[in-house]
Amino acid sequence: MNGLANVSRRRFLKASGVAGGGLVVGFTLTGCSSSAPPVVRREGDFVPNAFLQITPENRVRFYCPRDEMGQGVSTGLTTLVAEELDVAPWDVEILWAGVHSDYANPDFGVQGTGGSTSIKAHYRQLRQVGANVRAALLEAAAGQLGRPVAQLSTDSGHVVADGEKLPYGQFVATAAALEAPADAPLKRPSDFKFIGKDFARIDALDKSTGAAEFGIDIDVPGLHHGVVRRCPVAGGTLKSYRDEAARAIRGVTDVVEIGSGVAVVADRYWAARQAAQALEVEWELPSLAGLSTERLRADYRAGLDSDGDVDGERGDLAAGFGQASQVVENEYWAPYLAHAPMEPMNAVVRIEDGEADVWTGCQGIGAAQGLVARYSGLDKSKVRAHNTYLGGGFGRRATLTHVIEATQLAVATQKPIKVLWSREDDIQSGLYRPASLIRIKAGVDDAGRLTAWQAKRVGGNIMPDTLRNMMPALLPGAVGEGAIDWMVGLAHGAFDGWVVDHSSIEGLYEDYDTANREVRHVTVNHGLPLTFWRSVGHSYTAFAKETMMDELAAKAGLDAVEFRLRNTQDKPRLQNVIRVAGERLRQWPRHAGRHLGFAAHSSFKTDVAEIAEVSIEDGAIRVHQVLCVVDCGVAVNPDIVRAQMEGSVMYGLTAALHGELDLENGAIKQSNFHDYPILRMNEAPGVEVVIIDSAEDPTGVGEPGLPPIAPAVANAVFAATGQRLRSLPLRLA
Amino acid sequence: MIEFTLNGAKVRTDDPPDTPLLWAVRDTFKLKGSKYGCGAGLCGACTMHVDGEAVRSCVLPVDSVAGKAVTTIEGLAEPGALHPLQEAWVALSVPQCGYCQPGQIMSAAALLAQNPNANEAEVESAMAGNICRCGCYPRIKEAILSVAGRASAPPLEELASEVAS
Repeated sequence: MNGLANVSRRRFLKASGVAGGGLVVGFTLTGCSSSAPPVVRREGDFVPNAFLQITPENRVRFYCPRDEMGQGVSTGLTTLVAEELDVAPWDVEILWAGVHSDYANPDFGVQGTGGSTSIKAHYRQLRQVGANVRAALLEAAAGQLGRPVAQLSTDSGHVVADGEKLPYGQFVATAAALEAPADAPLKRPSDFKFIGKDFARIDALDKSTGAAEFGIDIDVPGLHHGVVRRCPVAGGTLKSYRDEAARAIRGVTDVVEIGSGVAVVADRYWAARQAAQALEVEWELPSLAGLSTERLRADYRAGLDSDGDVDGERGDLAAGFGQASQVVENEYWAPYLAHAPMEPMNAVVRIEDGEADVWTGCQGIGAAQGLVARYSGLDKSKVRAHNTYLGGGFGRRATLTHVIEATQLAVATQKPIKVLWSREDDIQSGLYRPASLIRIKAGVDDAGRLTAWQAKRVGGNIMPDTLRNMMPALLPGAVGEGAIDWMVGLAHGAFDGWVVDHSSIEGLYEDYDTANREVRHVTVNHGLPLTFWRSVGHSYTAFAKETMMDELAAKAGLDAVEFRLRNTQDKPRLQNVIRVAGERLRQWPRHAGRHLGFAAHSSFKTDVAEIAEVSIEDGAIRVHQVLCVVDCGVAVNPDIVRAQMEGSVMYGLTAALHGELDLENGAIKQSNFHDYPILRMNEAPGVEVVIIDSAEDPTGVGEPGLPPIAPAVANAVFAATGQRLRSLPLRLA
Repeated sequence: MIEFTLNGAKVRTDDPPDTPLLWAVRDTFKLKGSKYGCGAGLCGACTMHVDGEAVRSCVLPVDSVAGKAVTTIEGLAEPGALHPLQEAWVALSVPQCGYCQPGQIMSAAALLAQNPNANEAEVESAMAGNICRCGCYPRIKEAILSVAGRASAPPLEELASEVAS
C-alpha cells in the first residue's frame, strides 16, 4: 500500500508545484471546415496523432477519447497508450478530447461512451498508437545519436543509450519530421509493466481534494443561471404562465419560453431557482396524464395475452415441453427506475461573436456540439465542445436535453447560461429504465437438462426514444423537428410489430443451452421517455431468468450450481465462473440466520456469478456479504475491475431493495432521496471480487456485475423464508 | 451584509440571508468543491464544517453562519498538504465518479475529529447520511477505519523527501 500512497503524493506535489494544474483543453478553429483534431498545439510539440502530444520538456499529454463517469476509463485508456509508449500512466497529463472523428468509439463509429465498451473497443487501437509513437521516437533518437535502433531501448519516457537515459522530449523535433510507423509491434503480455497491475487510479487525488472539475463547477465571466419549469407529465406543453412574482425576485433578468417549458434566468442560481418556483404555470396535459401504476400494470398484463413479435426462436417448443418431466411458469415484474446520478444534469453554453462554447459532462461530446449547433443556428465548426468529469452517468448522460435548454436560453438572452436541474427535476422529468412484465415457461427433464424455454416480455422500447434524442444532434439543421418526429414515429412502429428492439429482451434466453426456445416481445408504450440504464435490458431479464433457474433446479432436485453447470455445456466461460463461485459456495462459512443465494449472468461479453449472503432482520432483507466472480478477459487495471463490480453490486442492490417509481395521473410520484431511497453505507454489504485469470482481449466491466445481484438476493430470500419474490423491488409478504 | 470565516479568511456577502450556505460558497465565493446533490439535506454531497460540526450546507441559510467558522473541502488540510483521510482515499482508490467524495470526506473528518478511534459501527452510523451512487461504501469505510486511531498526517517535509527519492 505504501507504493500506491507514494504515487499519489508525487502526483500531488507535481500538481501543486512547477508543472501547474491548469491546462485548459483547447480547440483550434482553423477555418470553415478543419479536419485537424482539437489539440492545443504549441510550436515544437510533437503531435503524431489525435491522442498524443509530447513537448520538448518531455511532458506527455493524452487526449482521452472516452468520458470519465467513474468507471475508471481515464486511468484505463491512459494505461493502454502508456504501456506501449513506455511511460508511467501517472506521469501522463490527461485531457478530455474535443470533437473529432478520430475520437470515435471503435464499437459505435461516433463519439459515445457506454455499453461497457471502452476498454474492449480501444484495447488494441490505443496500444498501437503508443507503440507507433515509441517507434518514431526510437527512430528519431537513432538518427540524432548515430546509433542503430537495435542498440536503443526505452524506459519511463526516456530513450536509453549505453545506460544513459535521454528524455523523449530531446527527440520530438526529429520525430515530428519522420513518417511514424503504422504497425509497430505490440508488447508481449509478459512484458507488460502496467496492464494487469494494480495502482492508484489517476483521478483519485483530484477527486479527494475537491479539485476535480464537473460540469456543475464550470464558471465563465457574466454567467447567468437558468432554471426551467417543465410539465410534470412528460410530453405536456405550456398553456400559460404568470411571472410577476418571479420577476420581483432580486437578480432575475429574464423569463423565457423554451421547448421544454418556461425558464427563469438570474445572476445567481438560488435566485433563479426561487423565481422558477414562483412562476404560476398552466399546462396542456398529454394522454399520459391519465396513467397510474395500477393501469400500467393492467395494460401490461393484458399485453401478456397478445402474440407479440418473435425473436430468438430455435428448435420445436412443443416437442421440448413434451420431453420435460417438470414445467414451471411464472411472471416477473420490474418497475420504472431513474438513474439518479449524484450530479444532476447541467450544461453551460456561451455564444459570442458567431461562435459558441458548451461545457457539459456527458457520454457523447459530439452530440453536445451537434445540439448547440442545431439550436443556435451555428455551423458545427463554430461550436467548441468541452467535456468535464461526469458526476455519474449510468446511461443518463447520453441524453442531453439540458444542453438544448441552455442553448435556447443563451440564444434568447444573449448571456452565457448554466442550466442546472434540481434533484426533483432529475427524478420527475428525466428518462427511465423501462418497466417490464415478463412471463417465462420452462421445462426440465429427469437428467436436469432444460428442454424448453418460452419467454415473453411486455413493455416499452428504448430504441425509438434513443433515436429521438440522438437525431437532432447528428442530423443537419436543415432536417427539421417535424421530419425527426416523423422518423421517430416510424421507429416506434417498426419496433412494434416488425422487429424486436434487442435491448428490450437481451439476457432473457441466451445463457443456457436449450434446444427448443421461443422469445416474444409485446410492445406496450404509454409515452414515458425511456433510455439506457446501467446494464439496460439485463437489469430486469437476469432477475426473471435467474430466479426461474432456482425454481427449476429445485424441481429437478439439483442444487443451484449443479443445475446451472449441466445447462452451460455450450458456454464454457460462463460455466467456469459458475464452477469457481460454486466452489466458494460449498466452502462458505455458515452463520446462524444467514442464507445464501446464487445467480449467474452473461452481459456485455463478460461472465459473472454472484453469491449473496442474506438475513431477515425485523422483516427487512439485509445483505451481509457478496462474492462476485468475473471473467472479463484481461483485467487492464484489476483494482478498477474490482471497484466496478463493487459499484455494480451496490447500484443493483438499490434497485433490488428500494428502487421503484410510481405514476399518478401520468406524473412520477417520487421526487427526491426520501421517497426514492438509495442504498446507504449502513445497508451496504462487503463485496469480494474474484477475477478469473485470462489472456483473452478485454470485455465489458462497467455493467456486467449488476444483473446477477437482484436474483442472487431473491434466491437467498427464498432460502431464508420460503417466499419466492417475483417483483422488484423485493418485498416480503 | 453577513460576515463569517471561510477556510480561515474573513469574508462578507450581501446574498439574501435565506440563501443556502452551499450557493453562497459556490456562486459568491467560487469554491466549487462542495456539491449540490439533493437540496434537501438527504445526500450529504454539500457537507461542510461550521465551527467543527458537519452540516448540510444546502439547507442551511447563510445568515445562520454569521460570525462562525466555515470549513469546506478546500480548507480541510493545510495548503499544499493532504488530510490523512484524503491520503487514505487516494491509497485505496476510493472515488469512482468522485462527485460525492468531498462531502464524504468532510463527514468523515468531522467524525474523526470528535471520535478519533471510531469503530466500524460508529463509522456506518456517522456516514449513513452520505449517499454514494457509485457504491464506493466498502472502500470509504475501509479508508476511514485505516485512519481511525492513527495519530496525525505525515508532515509535508516527509512527502517532499519521498518525491526527491
